[in-house]
Amino acid sequence: MDLFLQTLVNGILIGGILICLTIGFQLTFGVLHVIDFAVGGWTMLGGYTAYWLVTLAGIDPFISIFLVFALFLLIGRGLGPLIYRVRTSRYARPDLMALAFTFGIFLFMRGGALWLWSYNSRSVESVLSGQFLTLGPVTIPLLRLSAFLMALMFSLGLFILLYRSRFGMAVRALAQNRDHAGLMGVDVKRVSAWVYGIYTGLTASAGVLIATIYSVNPTVGIRYTLFAFFVAVLAGLGSVGGVLVAGLILGLLEAYVATYIGARYSLLIVFGTLYLALLVAPKGVLGRGI
Amino acid sequence: MNHKFSRRKFLRNSLLGTGAMTLGFPALNVQAEEHKVRCGVVTSLSGANRFGGNLTRRGYDLWAEEINKLGGIEIAGKRYPVEMFYGDAQSRPASGADAAERLIIQDEVDVLFGPYTSGVTLAVQPISAKYRVPMISGSAESPNVWLAKPPFNFGMIPAVDLTTDKSMVVLADNLGDRAKTASVIGVDEPFSKETAEGFRKGVEESGLELLSYELFPANSDLSAIVSKLKSANPDIVAVGGHESVFINFVNTAKALNYKPKALIMHYGVTSAAFINETGKESNGILGVSVWTAGLPYKDALFGTASDYSDLSFSRWGTRPDYTEAACSASGLVLQDAARRLGKAPPWNQETRAQLAKAIEDTDIETFYGPVGFAKEGSHFHNNTKPVPAVVQIKDGDVVPVAPEKASKGELVYPIPGTS
Amino acid sequence: MASETVKTPKLVVRTLLIGAVVVALAVLPAFIDSYTLRIATGALMWAGLACAWNIVGGYAGYISFGHSAFFGIGAYTTAILMQAGIGATFFVTLVPAIILSIAVAVAIGGPTMRLRGAYFAIATWAFAEMLMQLVTVLDFTGGTAGLSLPAYLNEFFFYYVMLIAAAGSFIGVWFLIERSRFGYRIKALRDDEPAAESLGIRTNLVKVQSFALSAAITALFGSVYAYWTTYIDPHSVMGPQITDQMVVMVLLGGLGTVWGPALGGVLLWITNRYIWSTFGDTVIYLPILGIIIALVVLFLPNGLISLIVGRQRGKELVSNILRKL
Repeated sequence: MDLFLQTLVNGILIGGILICLTIGFQLTFGVLHVIDFAVGGWTMLGGYTAYWLVTLAGIDPFISIFLVFALFLLIGRGLGPLIYRVRTSRYARPDLMALAFTFGIFLFMRGGALWLWSYNSRSVESVLSGQFLTLGPVTIPLLRLSAFLMALMFSLGLFILLYRSRFGMAVRALAQNRDHAGLMGVDVKRVSAWVYGIYTGLTASAGVLIATIYSVNPTVGIRYTLFAFFVAVLAGLGSVGGVLVAGLILGLLEAYVATYIGARYSLLIVFGTLYLALLVAPKGVLGRGI
Repeated sequence: MNHKFSRRKFLRNSLLGTGAMTLGFPALNVQAEEHKVRCGVVTSLSGANRFGGNLTRRGYDLWAEEINKLGGIEIAGKRYPVEMFYGDAQSRPASGADAAERLIIQDEVDVLFGPYTSGVTLAVQPISAKYRVPMISGSAESPNVWLAKPPFNFGMIPAVDLTTDKSMVVLADNLGDRAKTASVIGVDEPFSKETAEGFRKGVEESGLELLSYELFPANSDLSAIVSKLKSANPDIVAVGGHESVFINFVNTAKALNYKPKALIMHYGVTSAAFINETGKESNGILGVSVWTAGLPYKDALFGTASDYSDLSFSRWGTRPDYTEAACSASGLVLQDAARRLGKAPPWNQETRAQLAKAIEDTDIETFYGPVGFAKEGSHFHNNTKPVPAVVQIKDGDVVPVAPEKASKGELVYPIPGTS
Repeated sequence: MASETVKTPKLVVRTLLIGAVVVALAVLPAFIDSYTLRIATGALMWAGLACAWNIVGGYAGYISFGHSAFFGIGAYTTAILMQAGIGATFFVTLVPAIILSIAVAVAIGGPTMRLRGAYFAIATWAFAEMLMQLVTVLDFTGGTAGLSLPAYLNEFFFYYVMLIAAAGSFIGVWFLIERSRFGYRIKALRDDEPAAESLGIRTNLVKVQSFALSAAITALFGSVYAYWTTYIDPHSVMGPQITDQMVVMVLLGGLGTVWGPALGGVLLWITNRYIWSTFGDTVIYLPILGIIIALVVLFLPNGLISLIVGRQRGKELVSNILRKL
């Protein structure tokens, strides 16, 4: 029973981070209709940024996360118009060209990181590393708990932005119907670019948390791209709300499979479930996908 | 314009003349030319295994430099300098095969020094056999490498299943009644898996109860595994994997408030990076090492194991680990075999086949330890002579603690701070 | 045929050109050393793989990110059947390899191809990764340690086998797609699926057929590759890098054209090997690949072939695929 509870805790804590990872991705799909293959790449870059900030400037990741968010917000905002252009270009098949484009970006990121920083993993140190909290039979690593709370905070922040601000209203209008939104006076291009920036900022921040808990190396990108796809598809592509449910599901699935079936099979089962989910429920568990 | 024309002509002619002279020069000096022993190094200089690959290269290079200081390898009274050529396997078997082919065909090497990983070694084996080029490896510890009974390949390090098996038995003996149960975990990739298998065999041989045996994918989250171990609480935990996995394990265990009574890992424990990354947590962790600088071996070229360690430190700035040592010792094997064969380079296919036979008959002692290759059985052409030592980290130092004859300190059990 | 007098010289020129290339390829091994021969063999393989991917990606318009699964199926089937315990000869193993890949393609192609564009891409990607994981945990595939095949080190043999396989693929595509009714059906499918349906074309059947054909060719190259390299493991024959390269090669060369894949394949492979031998480290190859894709998408979505065949015609060809849905 103890092990069961511990696994539950392990799963929930990871789930929270996966939510933060995927929430931006969903937004991008909903608004820009782009499936960003590079989501894992942004995660990885966020992690590396946190690493360099700790190593060179001694800034704890729980503080530098805000800097990382701001930095990647700007980077994404800058890249946004390019993505937008590819996505709305007239002659090519835009959604697939956008996929190919983001795929190219991902290769570039991964290859660039490998070339610059090589294969070895870097761990990001935090004051909270190694500390834990005991709650009955369950041990809760403080680092993961803080990451979980931080992830929730960012997600909450996004929700507030989406539902309590004018900008958020424009974004939601855009997600519903681009042409109408444009006709109603929304600057489609600018809002889309900002959305992309928010996405990269959030994803990079999730990367900071992930790097602190585990470590970061250039090859982790693929793994997190998979997780983001998984959560996004399970939630229903484009549904930001569904991510909360789907993220927890993935976290729990991974934890329970690793504990009770065997860690070797966890990736197999995750990929298998993703594949089946696409076939059986492409609109996601809540049926709210696009 | 006439001026320009003739100046161009002059330049062109002088260039052609110089070119002809440089090309023709060697032809003029063919009598005085010295034959060198051409050695090709196939290893992963880039890619995921570049760290290990570069270690092997250092080992081979250090030998080449030292032997060349004496004028080269001695064969029938004359000295033949060694010339090194490099082929990058890029951490991929197919590239390793390409690299080996290029070294043999284009660079015309007489002998190969082998790769860091077993996967690349397996891919290169058929090529070295086809062109009859002997290959000596200071790495590649998978037992699979020797199953195919490769006629032209030799390995300096006993396969990992032998070393971990033996060391687990040694550990269990040392602990006696104090330890009754053990769990083994490992990364699901060739080398780590074989390490874990070796530990498992050792557990079974020594009569300990195996509580669990689990493999996991590289880069996984270890919280599930650690939680399970904490719940089962074995007396000994054995981990098969590389450095990064060990670090991950130690960190995850700390965050989940779990410290096993004895924790033994294989390769990587003895590296400075591991000790630095884990700090105080590394205290008491056990490792296995085929070679440490404190062992009582020596030879004519490098001196004692300790001398070698100092030499490597002064040359590369870091202390050598056993892979680097084994690679340098590979050169010693070549020296000895070439001397016994008594034929001067360059060596044609026929001679190289004889060289391979000579290598097979090796029986020498080096700073790295004794070398003798098995001539039959599942570890064909593997050097099965060295006896591994169990080491323990004490305040940042790596101290051999078992078996008796190699011991320089007491094996502390359980590790202080056990939960 | 209206412009027959204009067409004939063009046709003659084209045939002569192709003939010259074929002859050159056939006698090439006599003029180069065995190391360069290895590179040439590799180039032929990638050209063939690109051609195979093009069937599903270019002609049918379904961008697959899972083709490495079929390459792996071919490689592993051959490897397993050639193990000491079973001892089949190489050519015999090709039959089960192809049959198995077709079976898998039919089994998963049907349901998967119901999905639209990007979903299909993700699904095929998930499928490929899942298969790779499966191979890793099973025992008879050698798990992570991989498998060794009996070594047959005749470079000429492999060059000619690859040449025949690649030539066969291109000729096959030429006849089956460019010059047949099946081809019309595939292109109709890509241009406008609902319309094709309404014309009575059984789109599901066509989709699965094209997927199966593509899978079979990919598996064939996988089989030859396994025998050629003599050692395979899950990552080397089922890893994402295989699909990645196939996709880029076709995008670069020209989606949905006959020669585009060959052009893209050979060019990219030679670049890869050149970078390797010059810089000794192909990590730089990845970011370069990424930039190439980005640039192709932005500025040359019709692929390099459009520069040769003429922008208009290339544009027509490609925009037909890309306008689907």
